[in-house]
Amino acid sequence: MTVATQRQGGGGYVERGGGSGSLADVVELILDKGLVIDVFVRVSLVGIEILTIDARIVVASVDTFLRFAEATNRLDLYGKGKGGKDLPELVEGVTEGGAKGKSAGVLDAAVDKVEDVLTSRRSSRSSRDDGEEAPRRRPRQRARAERSESDE
Amino acid sequence: MSPRYVYGLVAAGAAIPEGLAGLGPSGQVTTIEHGRVAAVVGDVPADRPLGTRDDLIAHETVLDTLAAKTAVLPMRFPAVVEEQGVVDELLGPNEEFFASALADLEGRVQFTLRARYEQDVVLREIVENDSEIRDLQERVREMPEDASYYDRVRLGELIVAAMERRREGEAAQVFAKLEPLAVRVAAHQPTSPDEVVNAAFLVERDRMAAFDAATEDVGREHAGRLRLRLLGPLAPYDFAPAE
Repeated sequence: MTVATQRQGGGGYVERGGGSGSLADVVELILDKGLVIDVFVRVSLVGIEILTIDARIVVASVDTFLRFAEATNRLDLYGKGKGGKDLPELVEGVTEGGAKGKSAGVLDAAVDKVEDVLTSRRSSRSSRDDGEEAPRRRPRQRARAERSESDE
Repeated sequence: MSPRYVYGLVAAGAAIPEGLAGLGPSGQVTTIEHGRVAAVVGDVPADRPLGTRDDLIAHETVLDTLAAKTAVLPMRFPAVVEEQGVVDELLGPNEEFFASALADLEGRVQFTLRARYEQDVVLREIVENDSEIRDLQERVREMPEDASYYDRVRLGELIVAAMERRREGEAAQVFAKLEPLAVRVAAHQPTSPDEVVNAAFLVERDRMAAFDAATEDVGREHAGRLRLRLLGPLAPYDFAPAE
């Protein structure tokens, strides 16, 4: 909630997510990124089994809507007439009430899913016929602001 | 005949940091050179499929550690090639292409920035400024939870839409500040309605400090409203040549 809790280095206004370690960060950073070799060459890709990693990010779903409706209701904006609280109290209350956990939301859900897949391992890949490709692509939700120049 | 995991590509003769920990059973990471380029490779676990949390983290850690020292072209996870094929099929036919891609990335690293609304601050603002949302919220509050389902969905939908309208302006401010310090920018669709910026910046090594300082400035300007999170320096995952 406050700037102070995010002080981790630098000037203190930006949280630094230093080295690797968080699954959420890793999934976001590397999945679907980087050079795809089989696009350029017919490389003898070895028949290595790959776990299906489905890190689909759902941008707007009913769950998302309900989550934000709930977060809004927790604000208790209209408590005034009913013996409500001051703003600072509200902010505190909401924070204690777990706003943080709630707001992390969508990506967490995706990560849970990844963890499910990773932990359920062998059972999870039986659904694939071809078995040994890269993790399933996420739906293309990101638009590259600038495509690289080498569109060959 | 043995499979090699390919983490990425570097220029031939590039200094490889000591102590890289690969995802294979040996943990070793070595290079296979061909002409002007080299593949950074390791062994592959034979008894299990790839794709665990540790595999992903090892892939990233190897690449980020390399990127701290030298230009690296990351492969998309997971790239496994027959050992013989690393030279014959990967490096050989593509030497020119890889060399020029590496030259482009020389002296540059990636930073990834995520900015998210301080949710309560922005929610409050939205409710206060929109009478439809305010009315709907009042109604929802009066009703038992199971009777208000559709109203709650509608309320959330309106809030999400309001947040998305609002964030465009703020995202533009952030980009205006940071884009001049980057060689290229890859802006991604936010992953959640309260995410304002999710973007990768390709930054010259000698401007890293300036980029960092500019990010701090942005954080200071938007303190209490945006939460910024900066990852990097990273390997240029978002700036590998397009498919």
